[in-house]
Amino acid sequence: MIRFIAKRLGSGLVVLLVVSALTFFLLYMSSGSIARNILGDQATAEQVAMKEHELGLDQPLLTRYFAWVADALSGNLGASWFSSEPVANSLATRIPVTMTMVLAAMILIAICAALIGVIAAVKRGWVDRVVQVGAIVGDSVPGFVIGVILVTILAIQLGLFPATSTISPDSGADAWVYSMSLPVIALLINGVTGGAQQIRSAVIKQLERDYVRTLRSRGIGEREILFKHVLRSAAPAGLTVLSLQLIGMLGGVVIIEQIFALPGMGPLAVAATGQSDLPVVMGVVMYTVVVVIVVNLLVDILNGWLNPKVRVS
Amino acid sequence: MKFGPKAAAAALILSASLALTACGGTAAGGAAAGSTATSLTLGTIQDVRSWDPAQAHVGHILQPYQAVYDTLILREPDGKLSPMLATAWKYNAANTKLTVDLRSDVTFSDGATFDAAAAKANMDHFKKANGPQMAQLSAVKDVAVVDADTIDINLSTPDPALEYFLSQAAGLMGSPKALGTEGIKTEPVGSGPYVMDKAASVKDSQTVFTARKDYWNKDLQKFQKLTFKILTDLTARTNALVSGQVDATILDPKNGKQAEGAKMKLAANEVDWQGLLLLDRDGAKNPALQNVKVRQAINYAFDRKTILDQVMLGQGTPTSQPFGKASGAWTEELENYYSYDPAKAKQLLKEAGYETGVTLEIPSVPGFETQISVVQQQLADVGITLKVGAALTNTFTSDVAAQKYTTMYFSLFQGEPTVAVNQIISTKALYNPFKNATPELDAKIEAVRAGGADAGKLAQEVNKYVVEQAWFAPLFRVNQMYYHNAKVNVTPQIQQAVPSIYNYSPAK
Repeated sequence: MIRFIAKRLGSGLVVLLVVSALTFFLLYMSSGSIARNILGDQATAEQVAMKEHELGLDQPLLTRYFAWVADALSGNLGASWFSSEPVANSLATRIPVTMTMVLAAMILIAICAALIGVIAAVKRGWVDRVVQVGAIVGDSVPGFVIGVILVTILAIQLGLFPATSTISPDSGADAWVYSMSLPVIALLINGVTGGAQQIRSAVIKQLERDYVRTLRSRGIGEREILFKHVLRSAAPAGLTVLSLQLIGMLGGVVIIEQIFALPGMGPLAVAATGQSDLPVVMGVVMYTVVVVIVVNLLVDILNGWLNPKVRVS
Repeated sequence: MKFGPKAAAAALILSASLALTACGGTAAGGAAAGSTATSLTLGTIQDVRSWDPAQAHVGHILQPYQAVYDTLILREPDGKLSPMLATAWKYNAANTKLTVDLRSDVTFSDGATFDAAAAKANMDHFKKANGPQMAQLSAVKDVAVVDADTIDINLSTPDPALEYFLSQAAGLMGSPKALGTEGIKTEPVGSGPYVMDKAASVKDSQTVFTARKDYWNKDLQKFQKLTFKILTDLTARTNALVSGQVDATILDPKNGKQAEGAKMKLAANEVDWQGLLLLDRDGAKNPALQNVKVRQAINYAFDRKTILDQVMLGQGTPTSQPFGKASGAWTEELENYYSYDPAKAKQLLKEAGYETGVTLEIPSVPGFETQISVVQQQLADVGITLKVGAALTNTFTSDVAAQKYTTMYFSLFQGEPTVAVNQIISTKALYNPFKNATPELDAKIEAVRAGGADAGKLAQEVNKYVVEQAWFAPLFRVNQMYYHNAKVNVTPQIQQAVPSIYNYSPAK
């Protein structure tokens, strides 16, 4: 198992390095007029040249990339070109907000989707049909639309929640709960419907397998078959779906965070991309890649733990 | 067991939603910011990049700086310049030296004293800090300390806008002890009415200020607590205002309707103009644009009132001139100089020898797609084809400077006469990339620069020239939709979409 994890970690690092190089070169090759963007439309040519020198844009691309890697290895991701704030600081204050929201949504999605999916698969009939229809409806309404509807009804009309985030250093845990509730619900609905659908088919597939018939013929109870055998075999499919959802959610939260004005990664990514604040964009990309690698690693480990066959292969 | 699955499913969905909503009952109370009369919460579009006063900008990006930094000169809501840190100021006869008397009873929040040396240190810093408004002091040769509370600002060329600039970014005074340090980038040190509460502030989320004790001018300090809540998204700003999380914020005409439905008050103000910039007036890339009749024909092609009503819900005023109402360069006669007259447009094209049509190429501009398609339609009606190209990207300023566009649709700020001249008319202006000029126009511009207090009036001649020569095809001045609730009174500030910080007061 340790070798398995080490191998996965190694390939993760390679991916990280390749992505960082690709992103860096793609971004910085087209960074021609960044100095003028920073200085605004009244700046003179001398001012622009001065700024370019200040930002190190007059140095060769390769030199800058290696300097960036060397700094990044020591935890220094550079500083924003616009605000001079260290990128590592920006990420450190924003990742907790985004990750709290994503993890809260994922845990709820995992619980709800598994329950609904298993019930639909086991009971079939009308329950199954309701789940199927719900999945189509839930999947077809984008999270941000749900978000806007939730704000209008629950925050503005009923005043149950704040319309935009109230998270700040002087606010307590309650502000986090209130501010996160609507965004989490908005993320939840898509996730649960999609997840339940996948888990349902995975369970049904297992229930139709020969080993289930054999177990039944030996007089083993339905409950034991389901919990001891079927769910274990259906778990890899479910985990994969959930991990894909989590990774997809990193994109979805960008819009959700904008609507709810949550100080997470979304607004940072949007602002940095919009004004070509490349050091920050690099930071955001690295964060995303790391999350993807870690999630995949965790899923692989969980799968290996649930299903020994995976470890061997 | 028949109801088993149904009950289970229902219970599941219910419990999930209840778990999340149950605790919501008391949330509204905690969420309402600005609920006491002495606190003010403003929804702003973006956070400041650096609190170094030399990095300050104009308009809505100036407002947060005003909370912590006093300016040498105070600009009243109607544009009148009044004493602030400067008690009096006077030009020499040649308009090349401005002597400024300063207050001697002001200290910065770090204890440093405001005096002539501090003022000089700030202006010297501003001149070399490479901030976005560095051009404001480009005419300043040097600053000399005359005595403890007097400075001489020596100019290399007269600049009628200098006094105005001293009420803007260039006039912000930071503590000389903090200038140039790393600390001032994240924590401002000024002499202004408020001081930053760093512990309660989060970059790009909210900035909190508290009233400074013993501030020298209590008339400008109307709240005990001031919070800027950064809400980049328009929907978020609307929701925050309507639900009472912020007391005031800027919206657009469409979202404004929603705010009006919730009984929010509008403090509207015309700040920008929108329309076509006919940049290639010498016909370097598009020969048709060299002909003044073609440019005039373009101007006659637009039914400005209808476009304004349809696209901006009528929020603004149709106009044919690029200079703003408060600039002094604005004249009544130029307002409707080009009335809607498609027949005349066609006639002019014919006279110009372009009976068979003219083709203009413009870039698409994110956020202005509707305007551009309406413009395209109305130009087509008189025989002008508008080819809309790729969208402006964040490299557009360099693209404009590199003469990539012969024509473009844009929204531009209407400032003081020399500011507008430097932005769109002079050969150094970014929005005159083909460097169009005539001796006649140069003379008029020169007169404005040397005009001192008469600059506005003299700029009327520049305005008249560019309107008659159809350098642009302005469509309308646009209303900035600034909304606030009943807890605060707000006075709009001329030439600013967002009022100065002094223009807010608790409603009695």
